[in-house]
Parts: sequence; C-alpha cells; structure tokens
Amino acid sequence: MHRSRLVRPLALVALAALLGAAGPADSPVNVTEPAGLYEGPQHGYTPPTLNGATVVDLAALDRLIAADEPVLLDVVLADRKPQGLPPGTPWLPSHRSIPGAVWLPGAGVVPLTAEQEAEFLKRIAALTGGDKAKPIVTFCRPECWGSWNAGKRLVEAGYSRVHWWPLGVEGWQDTHDTTVVKADKAWTAIASEKATPPAQP
Amino acid sequence: MKALILALGLSLSVTGMAHAAGASDTDQERVARWNDLKKEIFAGKTIEPSETMVRIDAPKRAEDAALVPITLAMSDKDKVKGVSLIIDDNPTPYAAHFIFGPAADPGEIKLRVRVNNYTDVHAVTETKDGRFFESKQFVKASGGCSAPMGMSDEEAMKGMGDMRLKFGEATPGKPAEATLMIRHPNFSGMQMNQVSRDYTPARFIQKLDVSYGDTLIFHMDGDISIASNPVINFGFKPEGKGPIKVVASDNQDGRWEKTFEVPSASN
Repeated sequence: MHRSRLVRPLALVALAALLGAAGPADSPVNVTEPAGLYEGPQHGYTPPTLNGATVVDLAALDRLIAADEPVLLDVVLADRKPQGLPPGTPWLPSHRSIPGAVWLPGAGVVPLTAEQEAEFLKRIAALTGGDKAKPIVTFCRPECWGSWNAGKRLVEAGYSRVHWWPLGVEGWQDTHDTTVVKADKAWTAIASEKATPPAQP
Repeated sequence: MKALILALGLSLSVTGMAHAAGASDTDQERVARWNDLKKEIFAGKTIEPSETMVRIDAPKRAEDAALVPITLAMSDKDKVKGVSLIIDDNPTPYAAHFIFGPAADPGEIKLRVRVNNYTDVHAVTETKDGRFFESKQFVKASGGCSAPMGMSDEEAMKGMGDMRLKFGEATPGKPAEATLMIRHPNFSGMQMNQVSRDYTPARFIQKLDVSYGDTLIFHMDGDISIASNPVINFGFKPEGKGPIKVVASDNQDGRWEKTFEVPSASN
C-alpha cells in the first residue's frame, strides 16, 4: 500500500504539471508549510520543504549517514493493539527501522503534553550530547506529518542541522536493510503515562 | 558506538549487493523472529524444511499490501492433514490455519492477506502421521494491516455474510476446484475511520467450515491478517454427494451459512 503511495504522488505531480493546475489542499502538489506545527491528521500530503531544515533524498541520506553520524530519529507510531481481538491471539508487534535509529513513537503528534514536549527535547539533548549543531534526521513513513512536525520542533528548539527524510522507513527499505528497533524507554514511559496518547497514524 | 556507526556506514554502502546475494545483515533477526513464533505457535515441535510438503507462491513485491495473493501448494497432498500461514512481521502473525477433511483435495489453497511490513511469510504443514514441514517466502509490502477500505464502516458492512461459490471447470475423475467469496470487511482493528478518527474494532471471519454433503472439505481458523472480503480457493474430491455447505462465523457473534449445488461434470 505504501508503495503505491510512493508512486501515485509522482503521477499526480506529472498530471498537474501537464494541466498547469495549482493543486488544492487535497492533492500532493503545492502543499504549503503551516506557520507552526501541523495540527491536522498525521497521515496526509506533506509540503516539499521544511523551513530551517534540509529535506534529503536517499542519496543525500546515505552520504550524511556515512560522513556525519547523524542522530536518526524515527517517530513512526507504535501499532496499537486492536479492540475486539479474541483473548489468546498472539499480539507480537515488531518495528523495523534504519539501522542505528532511535525510535520515539508518536513524537511528531500534535499536541503533545508539556511533559511529553519536555521529555522529547531532553531525549534529543541527550542523543546529541547537547550539541545543537549535531545533524539530526527525522523520519516516519511516506506522507506522514509526524516527521515533519518532529523536525519543526527541533528547528524551533534551535537545532541548526535538522534533516527531514520524507519517505521514511518505506523509502529506505526498498533498497536498504532495516533492523528491529525497540521503542525508546524513557520516551514511552512519559508518552504513555500522560493524557493524549500518541495514537493517530 | 562510534565504531559501530562507522561499521554500519560501511556495510550500508554494499547493502545493495549483499541483498542481491541473499545475505543481508538482518537475516539473523528474521530467523530469530521465526524461532520465537514457532515456539509461540507450535510449542517447540520439530519443523523440517520441505518445498514438496508445502510451497508458497506470493508476489515478491505486492501491488496492494492490503490484498496480497498467497498460494499454498502441497504436492505430496495425500499426507497433508493441515496447513498454517504465518506472516512473521505482522503484529498478529498467525494469519490462517486450515484443517482438511476427507472430502478435500489439499493440493492447493489460495487466499488473500494483509502484509504490514517487508516480511518473511511461512507456511507449515502438518501431516497425518504428525510431522511438521515448513517453507518460506519474502514479501515486499507494507501498511496492509492499517490501510483503510476507502469507504464508511456502514458501507463496508453492507451485505455482510453474503457468499458466492464459483466452480472451476469440472473434469471427470480429476479434483474439482472452487472459489469461495464472502462479503465481510474483516476489520483488522488497526484501521482508522477517516471521518471520526476512531479505530474500527476488529471484526473478522474467525471460523469457516466448508463441507460436501456431510463430509468436511476444510475448516479454517482466520485472523485479522486475512484481507477484507475473503476469497478462498480450494480443491475437493468430486465424487461427493449433496450440496456444498459453507458456515462462517466472526468474532462478534456473526454467523452465516449457505449451501451451493455442485454442477455435474460434463461427460
């Protein structure tokens, strides 16, 4: 499914270019950046830019990883156990990501509580060793505002080398290996303890 | 840590080649996952690899992760008692379990499933003499479990439980084939209603019994990994008597049954 999501926007871009159409908000073309964080549903067409951050493609991401040891910040939402699953059904979610990534499930959700927001910044400070110039890459899945929002939060917090990888895990695993990544414990403790669990896909 | 990241950087640059050769860094993790699942599902039974006892045909890259066609082929079919399908990286990996009855021709069974992420898919057959055999196939697809159906829940549930049975061309003396189609959303519980932004609770075909007259063809235990509007293709011994009866039930007390007359073999 995600694959077709990868392909379809390109076809739509081509079509829109042919027609000379300015895309409405429900098309992937010309999605404009919100002034602050995006408060709509997490899944949806995203802008091609993130002011204050660098949008990377796969080649740029490969180079960055090889050269700069960036913090790879995965904000994919955790699978939520379905309601109505018969007791005894094995429920064994597993998350695969870019090797070396730190997974903070739902860290791109809006709004976060004040505690979640503070914990997010605290985790990033720890992961960057307090270096605001340390490169960071945010990602989730294709057409996911979560990674855009996480990048925006970091830009607003004063990080100077924020990168956004819009195609996320799906865009990576097409040609690269993934590895099983467990959710960051410090983050999930605070994220699940407080209200508004990060649950929107 | 620094050395590890450097090592990762190096290995990433050759990943493309390594993958083509089938020797990826993550193979071991996938094997470990499968070993865990085997313990959970088959309680430590010895499972031997065998492509003759069971083979999986699946697209290497699925066009639609919410509708991935899977064929389980069992060439030594007279020995087969049942077959299980496990989609390793799905959050509920145990997709389906079939038990074949005396009226079955268990050479092949087809169904359509949801795949949540690039994953190994395993099939395990159990023979009549109590042995287990496995084979696997890697499938590239992702997002299938949470993919919305693109319509309201009410619309998706319209005509729930309606069934059709399409018979393959009958040839005297040869096993007969049929395709069962059941209208049912098979909600995974991981799909979000696009309007209300609530998750639709899991509602799926949990048990399915198909018999020819009084004789069982197969019983299936299903799961949320089976695609919406289940379609199951199966073989049966044509010499049976009476109509084919299908009884389906879901995990929310839905129960439906229907009988179908078997067309007689022409000449």
